[in-house]
Amino acid sequence: MSPTTLSPRQRAEQLSAALPPLLLHAERVAASVAQGVHGRRRVGQGEAFWQFRDYQPGDSPQSIDWRQTAKADRVFVRQMEWEAAQSVWCWRDGSASMDWRSSTKLPTKRARAELLMLALMTLMIRAGEHVSLLGTGLPPAANRGTLVRLSEILRREQPDAARDLPATQPLPRYGQVLLLGDFLADPADIERSLRGFAERGVKGHLVQVLDPAEETLPYSGRVRFEGLQGERPWLLSRAEGVRAQYRDQLAAQTDAIREIARRTGWRCTWHRTDRSPQTALLAVYSALAQHV
Amino acid sequence: MAALGSLAFAQPWLLLALLALPALWFLLRVTPPAPKTQRFPAIRLLLGLAPTEETPARTPWWLLLLRLLAAALVIVGLAGPVMHPATQLSGSGPLVLVIDNGWASAKTWSERMQVAEAQLDRAAREQRRVRLLTTAPARPDAPLAASDLLRPERARERIRALQPHPWPSDYAAARSVVEDLQIDGSAHVVWLNDGLQTPETEALASRLQRLGRLELMRPEPADLPVSVLPPSRSGTDLKVQVRRAAARGQTARTVIASDERGRLVATAEASFDDGSRVATATFELPLELRNRITRVGVQGENTAASVALLDSRWQRRPVGLVTESAQADAQPLLSEVYYLERALAPYAEVTRGNLSELLAQDRAMIVLSDRGALRADLRNQARAWVERGGVLLRFAGPKLARELTGPEARAGEGTPLLPVRLRRGGRALSGTMSWGSPPKLADFPADSPFAGLSVPDELTIERQVLAQPSLELGEKTWARLADGTPLVTADQRGDGWVVLVHTTANAQWSNLPLSGLFVQMLRRIVSVGEGVAETADTGPLPPSSVLDGFGQLGPAPASVQALSTQALETNAISAAHPPGLYGLEGQRRAHNLGPAVGDARPLTALPAGVEVSGFQAEPEQRFGPWLLVAALVLLLIDLGIALLLRGLFGPAGGDGMGRRAARAAGGGAAAILLAVALAPAPALAQSGGGDAPESYALKATLDTRLAYVVTGVDRVDRISEQGLRGLSRTLTARTSIEPAAPLPVRLDEHPLAFFPLLYWPVTDQQAPLSTRVERKVNDYLANGGTILFDLRDPTPGVNLGGGLSGAGQALRALTRNLDIPPLKPVPPEHVLTKAFYLLNDFPGRYDGGQLWVEDTSAGGGDGDNVASVLVGYNDYAGAWAIDQAGRARFAVTPGGERQREMAFRVGVNLVMYAMTGNYKADQVHIPAILERLGQ
Repeated sequence: MSPTTLSPRQRAEQLSAALPPLLLHAERVAASVAQGVHGRRRVGQGEAFWQFRDYQPGDSPQSIDWRQTAKADRVFVRQMEWEAAQSVWCWRDGSASMDWRSSTKLPTKRARAELLMLALMTLMIRAGEHVSLLGTGLPPAANRGTLVRLSEILRREQPDAARDLPATQPLPRYGQVLLLGDFLADPADIERSLRGFAERGVKGHLVQVLDPAEETLPYSGRVRFEGLQGERPWLLSRAEGVRAQYRDQLAAQTDAIREIARRTGWRCTWHRTDRSPQTALLAVYSALAQHV
Repeated sequence: MAALGSLAFAQPWLLLALLALPALWFLLRVTPPAPKTQRFPAIRLLLGLAPTEETPARTPWWLLLLRLLAAALVIVGLAGPVMHPATQLSGSGPLVLVIDNGWASAKTWSERMQVAEAQLDRAAREQRRVRLLTTAPARPDAPLAASDLLRPERARERIRALQPHPWPSDYAAARSVVEDLQIDGSAHVVWLNDGLQTPETEALASRLQRLGRLELMRPEPADLPVSVLPPSRSGTDLKVQVRRAAARGQTARTVIASDERGRLVATAEASFDDGSRVATATFELPLELRNRITRVGVQGENTAASVALLDSRWQRRPVGLVTESAQADAQPLLSEVYYLERALAPYAEVTRGNLSELLAQDRAMIVLSDRGALRADLRNQARAWVERGGVLLRFAGPKLARELTGPEARAGEGTPLLPVRLRRGGRALSGTMSWGSPPKLADFPADSPFAGLSVPDELTIERQVLAQPSLELGEKTWARLADGTPLVTADQRGDGWVVLVHTTANAQWSNLPLSGLFVQMLRRIVSVGEGVAETADTGPLPPSSVLDGFGQLGPAPASVQALSTQALETNAISAAHPPGLYGLEGQRRAHNLGPAVGDARPLTALPAGVEVSGFQAEPEQRFGPWLLVAALVLLLIDLGIALLLRGLFGPAGGDGMGRRAARAAGGGAAAILLAVALAPAPALAQSGGGDAPESYALKATLDTRLAYVVTGVDRVDRISEQGLRGLSRTLTARTSIEPAAPLPVRLDEHPLAFFPLLYWPVTDQQAPLSTRVERKVNDYLANGGTILFDLRDPTPGVNLGGGLSGAGQALRALTRNLDIPPLKPVPPEHVLTKAFYLLNDFPGRYDGGQLWVEDTSAGGGDGDNVASVLVGYNDYAGAWAIDQAGRARFAVTPGGERQREMAFRVGVNLVMYAMTGNYKADQVHIPAILERLGQ
């Protein structure tokens, strides 16, 4: 079966199969609510053996380890290591500007962003993390059904100019946020949006997905540019004349985003749709893995 | 109107607009091309950016050139360019357009109309009024008249309504019209002449010259019409004379003879030598074909003069046969009339009668067999008739010979109705006392009508009458014997002929009447005469159908008047009497234009100062509209280019959807094409596979086979197959019938006709028969097929409740629309009981069920009284069924191998019965036959 006939979710799973399970290290354990697979080096609910201890009144009879008890005169209770899961809220830019590509040979930015996001979600679920989509209000979950449900939500969502940046919403502290988009909005807006998360102690990661044409501006001659989100059109008599200036502008935008990320303590990755998605996945994977 | 050689413009001032083209160039050059539209998400980064150097994008030079060319084409096109413009009209008055629309104009009618319209174009350009004058009267009662002063548009309508007439132009009348014409100022006169010289042409031309400048246009001499004369009515061949006006050049024209319905009968060539105006086409046709010809026309000509209609005068000759009594002869083989009638009937319309009756009937030829003296009054009557054109054919004989010696001849009366003087007495060339053998017939002289006929060797003339030697005897002799004595003599009297055959018309004096030569000679003699001209004035002939100007026969318009005999004879063609057929049914007379045309010559004599030209001058061509169309095409191309430049077609388009759609459409079209191309292939494969009708038919017919009807119930069909296989094996082992493996028969697709016997197990699960299948089964039964219905039901047909059993109901449902004859139980003496084995009952797998057969005792029907329908209850196939190893599949009830053996015997008898019919029924007579043989 060729990759093109697969659904986005299937392609994402295929992509993520090449990487080892991504394990997110919890920065803090205390306040997290849900359980995860991170060994907390203390007794709690989990699957890995932690210690035996003497039976005390009030312990459930099911917790008694009869084999150990039979070796001695005391009654032992088997205790497991407490495992806690990290919750990751993902988001991708669903605006109309993402639904664009400069050539039919390339995927749209939105398609690429969704692919990357689903691939990362697959990895995270395999690693036991809990994932959810930002803005859907669904609680983070870690089963395969979640992935199916989330990809279905993505598929049904219509492009919307208003969703250029994620709306700030209350998230539990020490949650993780993964944002994918072109981040071509005003840097001030971006910073405002990110601060909304950062102030609540939420850490995050930005992935900027751009079309190669947005980087090189390959047009020439008399061109009337029209935005995809109702921006006013801009007529250029010689498009090739502004290429250098445009590159500067783009570099300034990128720098601004990097600066915002630095200030909020977030990380960011860049990706172009003509590059291989595996490269981007690896980059984001390593970035998330370091994100401790 | 400004003319530049052969190119002119209607509105030359519009060409000034061409001067504005450089300005247009400048404007187009300054105006930048429309921008390409590009959707771009990162537009926020572009806003406010401006290129450092503002060199405006320029329209490419080739696009500029394209647009300028389009503009120039529009300007030139609107200026009204005209190729080959006509010269200006002279004078200040109206344009007088004289159009010949007599018969000769039809040949060049379309050119004439084009030229006339071109003249009207001239008049319209110069805003002149037009007066029209046609030279042939449209109706007999309407004299020629010139039209009022007309606008060119009105004149154009009138011209388009003009048609050529099949009668000549009347220049004398036209001249008087012109004399009365009131014209303001000097007119410009254009005369579209028909190109033939007439006595009045010059007078009319000089009269027209007085109105103003005369421009005469006429067809080239090669385009002048030819005329056809009706063929002469004498001679064996049909000779059609074709005339042309111009004597120059050597050409051949094809003359077509067609019959009443327009079907081609024959064609012949008429070759004009250089310098001659007349050519002849000769049709050598059997008389039957010749009689069918009703119309002779020249190919490629469409005038009324190029058609000659033939009426009954050209057809079968009416021949009168003089008999004393109209009754049949008691001894036909001795009767002269018998031989004559047999010889004449194929070629002529023969009427018997006595001489006075026949003379009154205007026969073309009267045959007078051996006859004594004629009464004086009859003689005079006959002489007058001959002089009017009749052919009197006489035969010699004993009576004539006696007459020669009779008192009349001696009295000096002579024999006025004989071509030559005869010697008294006859001459016996052969007889019991004669030594020599009778002389043969010599070859016919070249000037004789019989020339070319071959003389059979076995012809002998035993007796003849002899002519008195005279100087002119040689000329009058058409046939003579080898010794030089005349056998047929003829003499022309007036328009007619008197012909004498110096021997009898029966076999008394010679065997000439028995030979084929006699028939041919009579035929030649019949065609010698021209027939008797119509003398009786039957009064005016009403028109039946007339030719139009183009030589097409059509119903006569109301204006055509009845034709008097006199007008017919003088070939008077006019608007009142157009060429055509006149007279009542059965007495049609052809009225032809050809003879009336006479000797046509090309137009030569004209007064001085007349401008003569042909019609071939190149007509004006306005090509302004074409230039505008070209400009439109260029602008469309420009539009396409502009769209391309703006990126609306190209792959650079924002999301590429258009391209994808185009590609999808292309792919779809290709897929459809491919599907269409491949469609027949699967169909062929389908029809090629499976059980093709031919292979089934071969299988069914190359070997004798038993067959069973496929019911569609697998179990039943399998038992049928196995049962018939078992029966086939038994038949092969015990009888001379050696059937191959049984065949299944699907009633809806397989033909039934190959099988003498069909085994049809009845099951209530079989689908009802379609109408087509019912018809097929009925055909099968009606044409000698036999069907054995097996109800496979041990219970008798009627159950306790009085209703039918299940199988009975199924049988009734299946055969509802079949032609099932009345049935009865097999009677004890039925052939089935003794066809091979002697049987008393008919057990199958079950015993006790009755076997019913068609009641054939009444006789009738086909198939040797073999019953077409048998109905059994006993599940015969079940009893016969064997498996692969040849073992019986089912036990028989009540049981015993004896019952199975009896079941097989029933099967053998059934097959024998179906195949041999009632052969065994004849066995009842064997004892009687043996007894008769004395055994």
